[in-house]
Amino acid sequence: MANENHKRFAFFPGCLIPVRYPQMEAAIRKTLPKLGVEVVDLAGFTCCPDPIYFKSYDKTAWLAVAARNLAVAEEAGLNVFTICSGCTATLSETYQQLNTNKNLREEINQRLARVGREYKGTATIRHVATLIRDEVGIEAVAASVVRPLDGLKVAIHYGCHLLKPSHVMRVDDPDDPHILDDLVTALGATPVRHEEWILCCGKACKHEEAPAAMMYDLLKSVAAVEADVLGVVCPSCFNEFDLGQVRLARQYDDESLKTPAVYYFQLLGLAQGLTLEEVGLHRHKVRAPALEKYAAAAV
Amino acid sequence: MPPKKNKKKSEDGPTVTIDFEFKKLVEKVVDGTLVNYCYQCGACVGDCPSARYVEGFNPREIMLKVLYGFAEELVGPASPAWQCTNCYNCYERCPQNVKPVEIIIAVKNLMAQRGIYPAKAQVGDLVNTVLETGRTAPVTAMTTKLREELGLAPLEAIDTAELKKILE
Repeated sequence: MANENHKRFAFFPGCLIPVRYPQMEAAIRKTLPKLGVEVVDLAGFTCCPDPIYFKSYDKTAWLAVAARNLAVAEEAGLNVFTICSGCTATLSETYQQLNTNKNLREEINQRLARVGREYKGTATIRHVATLIRDEVGIEAVAASVVRPLDGLKVAIHYGCHLLKPSHVMRVDDPDDPHILDDLVTALGATPVRHEEWILCCGKACKHEEAPAAMMYDLLKSVAAVEADVLGVVCPSCFNEFDLGQVRLARQYDDESLKTPAVYYFQLLGLAQGLTLEEVGLHRHKVRAPALEKYAAAAV
Repeated sequence: MPPKKNKKKSEDGPTVTIDFEFKKLVEKVVDGTLVNYCYQCGACVGDCPSARYVEGFNPREIMLKVLYGFAEELVGPASPAWQCTNCYNCYERCPQNVKPVEIIIAVKNLMAQRGIYPAKAQVGDLVNTVLETGRTAPVTAMTTKLREELGLAPLEAIDTAELKKILE
């Protein structure tokens, strides 16, 4: 990639991916340089913090921790990219609220002053999928492919927090999004829609039966379109579809629940010539046999 | 019963006592007086996954209870708040910009302040883990092994001194 296309962004790793699913981090670190994006690691980031439990506990504290993270990026003079939909939601909402509500910003900055920091509102936040669509371009993603995933059927789970609330996230139309379909198509693969494509993974719902019932309907809908893999961009959704799918198949005694979940950047890595091991696909609970033939293809 | 201020006799139901104070508590958590704009249209219900899967869960009714100030039903042990999936469909659909999911999150904050919410253990554990380690998930031997296998640097411990100061 030519120097004039060189782009530097602060890498916000979050918690779940580096700790539980480092294969996703590996895929990010191995694919972005091929798209001309420099992944810059900064010292001082903490948990975003999580937009479900931490925010439900104390919203002001949640904003303060998020604002501190953004201040770390501001001090380095860099915009931020995230790799988890939850981190994207927390940091984007904090940016939106503190940049439009002066009183709230002052309240939060009083807390940050205790540690010698200030939130200025200068660092923007993009989920890595949005970053490569907007800063690299779909054509450049396609141009980085050396091993097209021709014939691979990818059901897509957009999840909730990449898209909504749409005026805060500013990613795509939440009722008819195309960003992930376009990114999948760029790899030579075929995105497939299924009946329950918009349904939530249910993880945040604390009810004895409802989350399993939601997931069951969602995964039955995925199985019905006979997709080879289920593409995701969020580690929370991934957990529900990987280990969660194994549990559900047992609970409902339903062998059709076996569509392997993969993080989009693992597919990109494979298409860019990486091996299954290099993007950690061999570590998933639900294996993806359909991907083996691509991994075996000459680069 | 003699009519009193703040009391309303409904046509076909029992007498309702409105508690305006509860709404003010909710408003302190969310940005502004959002819930006042709710005109009970029900647009939040149609695409709500919890309304579809949890019998009795209805975001429109939650908004009505906030307007009436039925605090005990919302922040008590039988609160419906933790049955919300946080999917934000209601936020997208609401023609009045009420942001029902944010009202529900505000209700959860009020539950946390009272320490009586159903997900207490889970939420408390997570917040404590973040305060102690800077992360929601603890680094384990498996983390180190997987990262090494993938050629990633080991995860350093996060200094949480600043976190503790801003959350004091």
